[in-house]
Amino acid sequence: MISPDLSDPLTGPFWQGAQAGELRVSWCAACDRAVWYPRARCDVCDGRLHWQTLSGAASLVAWSEVSGPLNPDFDTPYLTGLVSPREAPYIRLVTRLVDCCAADLRCDMAVTVRFRALQPRRGAAFIAPVFTPA
Amino acid sequence: MATQSLRALARRARVPDWGESLMLEDVRGEVAITGIGETPVSGPSGRDPRTMALEAVAAAIADAGLRPEDIGGLMVSAGIRDQLRPEDFHTHFNTSQPLWFSTAGGAMIWAATCTHSAALAMRAGKARHIVNVFAVDWASRRAAGSGTPGDWHASEDMKARFELPFGWYPQPVYFATFARRYMHEFGLDSTQLAALPLTFRRHANRHPDAVMHNRELTLASYLARPPLADPLRVEDCCLISDGAAAWVMSPAEQAVDMPHPTVLVEGVGHGRVQGAPYISQQPVITATPQTFAAPWAFAMADTDVTEIDVIAVYDCFSSTALMQIEDMGFCRKGEGGHFIQNDRLFYQRPRRLGGIPCNTHGGLLSHSYLLGISHVVELVKQLRGTAVNQVEDTRIAAYAGFTADEGSTLILRRGER
Repeated sequence: MISPDLSDPLTGPFWQGAQAGELRVSWCAACDRAVWYPRARCDVCDGRLHWQTLSGAASLVAWSEVSGPLNPDFDTPYLTGLVSPREAPYIRLVTRLVDCCAADLRCDMAVTVRFRALQPRRGAAFIAPVFTPA
Repeated sequence: MATQSLRALARRARVPDWGESLMLEDVRGEVAITGIGETPVSGPSGRDPRTMALEAVAAAIADAGLRPEDIGGLMVSAGIRDQLRPEDFHTHFNTSQPLWFSTAGGAMIWAATCTHSAALAMRAGKARHIVNVFAVDWASRRAAGSGTPGDWHASEDMKARFELPFGWYPQPVYFATFARRYMHEFGLDSTQLAALPLTFRRHANRHPDAVMHNRELTLASYLARPPLADPLRVEDCCLISDGAAAWVMSPAEQAVDMPHPTVLVEGVGHGRVQGAPYISQQPVITATPQTFAAPWAFAMADTDVTEIDVIAVYDCFSSTALMQIEDMGFCRKGEGGHFIQNDRLFYQRPRRLGGIPCNTHGGLLSHSYLLGISHVVELVKQLRGTAVNQVEDTRIAAYAGFTADEGSTLILRRGER
């Protein structure tokens, strides 16, 4: 099952945020840094974590255009890759690149978040934070 | 040498801080690889992994001049289904001796580190002759729709929650993403990258056992292929195969009385990246954990890249092999694309001619996808002087093992006999 589980206590808030039009990541208030992927407690100070809403500005680390019959879950071609949020450049979000073609993309370019429905071949569509050139 | 001294030596390589080297004890010269065995490798064959494993084990034991009852230990991979069990060994060979058993063996990184585990087991008197074996039937499984190499990754919780929903899956997609970043940082282009699949294919074309033996590949045909996951083409990605291989490890002092020229384990290294096991969060995506494994192995072996005659590098993807050749230290970071040109990886370019022959059996790209165990078997043949694509006067060989967030290095040397 590819569609995310919004009710999962550890990871659901990310996907609930997307439904609400917000990009959220797991954050340690004491360390004032993102902790990604989310965990029960901060891996540095063992403090409690909360979900922090980010601006949606990010930098494109790298991407790939998937054209071949690699992934049975999605129609091809599609653009997927890694971005680093402006407020937490030391983490990476796996994402999609939308409203653009591969030729528009450059590593380290500024990108900004959009919220779009992704439709797997099987299962329900879901709202996901994706990115487009800023 | 004391482990602390090895640590000091390994640190002279000025390894970066985004990973670590495991502090393996010095086992230099204690263990020899005394027998090797392989099944045929193929696409979908319907063969069962345990049956293939037993065939390879029997061949390895015979090659070592031993009998099944001489074997005191068995090493296999954890996490890959249907690997050989001690009871399978005893049932098949009609034996009953105690078998020291370890799941820290098999292929990938363990094709290197199992030699270290075996040395410690021999020191502790747990076993004398130890078999390491790996078998896989992913070609049959994929054809039957009953499993792929991606399954293990898909079972990782955070990958399932945050990566699969975006289609950043399976392995070719993330290694394509990393290759894209490498191209951006260091100016590598597809024509340069092609040197890896083209050279490995030429090795396979000369190797009658290789899956791609009859399939020639030219630069023009490579470049004309559509990307699978841009910038990687299908020729940049490993095969999916059925097959098995095994070897016997023996105490070095006994190896001199065994049938083949001695092949000694000289150095072993094991590196790990911070943030494991999620390589999407690996601090540096243009390098591999080989960065942290190689210095330790070279320190243990008291050697360096200038003395290595032939290498076998875990080439799940061409770009991953390229990064590991750099991370072993054969050239500086980012210079790999240039370094591998001019047939430098071809078996007829020995070290004295400025080459570093690599994956002389064809590698995972063109021989078979046995996850690295065939790489080490090939190096043993090179050191014995019996390889199909024999490199001239091979004395020291190195294997680079890989499992995404971990890397390993094995240095082998031909004994004096």
